[in-house]
Amino acid sequence: MAIVRFPALMKFYVDNQSEFSAAGSTVRELLDNIVVRYPTLKTHLFDSNGGLRRYFNIFVNGIHIRELNGMDSPLNENDKIILMASAAGG
Amino acid sequence: MLPELSHEEILHYSRHLLIPEVGLEGQRKLKNSSALIVGTGGLGSPVALYLAAAGVGRIGLVDYDVVEPSNLQRQVIHGTSTVGKLKVDSAKEKLQDLNPDIQIDIYNEPFTSANAMRIAKDYDVLIDGTDNFPTRYLTNDVCVFLGKPNIYGSIFRFDGQLSVFYAKEGPCYRCLFPEPPPPGLIPSCAEGGVLGILPGTIGTLQATEALKVLLGIGEPMIGKLLLYNALDMSFDFVNLKKNPKCRVCGPNADIKELIDYEEFCGVPGHDHEDGSAGAGLDISALDLKNRLSPAGNSKLILLDVREPHELQISALPNAINIPLGQLAARLAELDSADDMVIFCKAGTRSARALELLVSAGFKKVKNLKGGINAWAMDVDQSLPIY
Repeated sequence: MAIVRFPALMKFYVDNQSEFSAAGSTVRELLDNIVVRYPTLKTHLFDSNGGLRRYFNIFVNGIHIRELNGMDSPLNENDKIILMASAAGG
Repeated sequence: MLPELSHEEILHYSRHLLIPEVGLEGQRKLKNSSALIVGTGGLGSPVALYLAAAGVGRIGLVDYDVVEPSNLQRQVIHGTSTVGKLKVDSAKEKLQDLNPDIQIDIYNEPFTSANAMRIAKDYDVLIDGTDNFPTRYLTNDVCVFLGKPNIYGSIFRFDGQLSVFYAKEGPCYRCLFPEPPPPGLIPSCAEGGVLGILPGTIGTLQATEALKVLLGIGEPMIGKLLLYNALDMSFDFVNLKKNPKCRVCGPNADIKELIDYEEFCGVPGHDHEDGSAGAGLDISALDLKNRLSPAGNSKLILLDVREPHELQISALPNAINIPLGQLAARLAELDSADDMVIFCKAGTRSARALELLVSAGFKKVKNLKGGINAWAMDVDQSLPIY
């Protein structure tokens, strides 16, 4: 299981948790599993083609998945996944 | 040639002069440096206070708002005595009291594509203390085009973000966020609230990064992003690299000049709630009062889309409460044949709820323009405005 940190402004969709565990051998599998658990998240995370929406960023152990293998980036036990959304407040 | 310090300035900055990384030469560097702070609100307040106190020689402040009572929970540069004044005037007064030896330039105007390059070109760094996506993309692009560091901070409720976007040496804001979120997905502080201390935490970190950049010391947060959560007291750092597909700083960049940022983001360049769902879709508080009167339509359904905790502040009798975030999943609780008025705090969330209901086939829905705050102002003064 990996540890997933969720952006505060999306906490509503994940039972108000900022951090939880989820399974998956790749980032895509992990997100799919999260969406099965929290179905209302789906349209917020993915566009109609199944791609991750471009205002989200995902980091695995502090590294952007763009620098790894994108949605196919492999995950290991206890990896720390950060889902991050933009925020405008100031 | 760096400017000399007077005896008075040497005494003022004595604690800096004792640090070898700053010293006399560093303090003279700061006196010779300049910073433009875009926004004099939650983030801009601590940034301006600390940069002024630290002796940054010229500070520019861009803002066109006036100080409001609801600002004072976090915008500590202002005070009860300056409520109603222009924020730039209120801030300048405070900064000059804090440090009369520095120059404060004020720009009482919105930061837009029309004036941003002119305002920013003579400053060494820009500090993003804005409260909306269009101005954040604008600030980023200005920094990329002018080759200046963008000291970035943003806040929401208990979460803060911090980075230094500097396209010459690392990624820019667009490398991380190529596109803004769709309008309405990410609530502003005016809608969603913010812990008053949070901009203090993030703003003082922005001021720290600005000083490091201006002094050329330490390791500024270029290519790094801090994600702070006050509830968990967690500080997560992630690495950022340039995005090869970045449209402003990538090798194949196709955005070469400032664009229309409000059009790009689909939202206005401010976080004021105008509380309207658009022409023909609103109802005023006074008209709603007439419709609710005995002679009016007694079958009118009132739908309150605020969060349950907001009902403790103010509420309308007999209203159904379904928070906006739950509305799509709870449509079955409503009847599309009913006449319905939707409301929230100030009309922004209810306007989005109206869109959702209309797209689900509801035809007889109206948005209470200005929300329950307008009701409190125009109809029932026993209710507080928040």
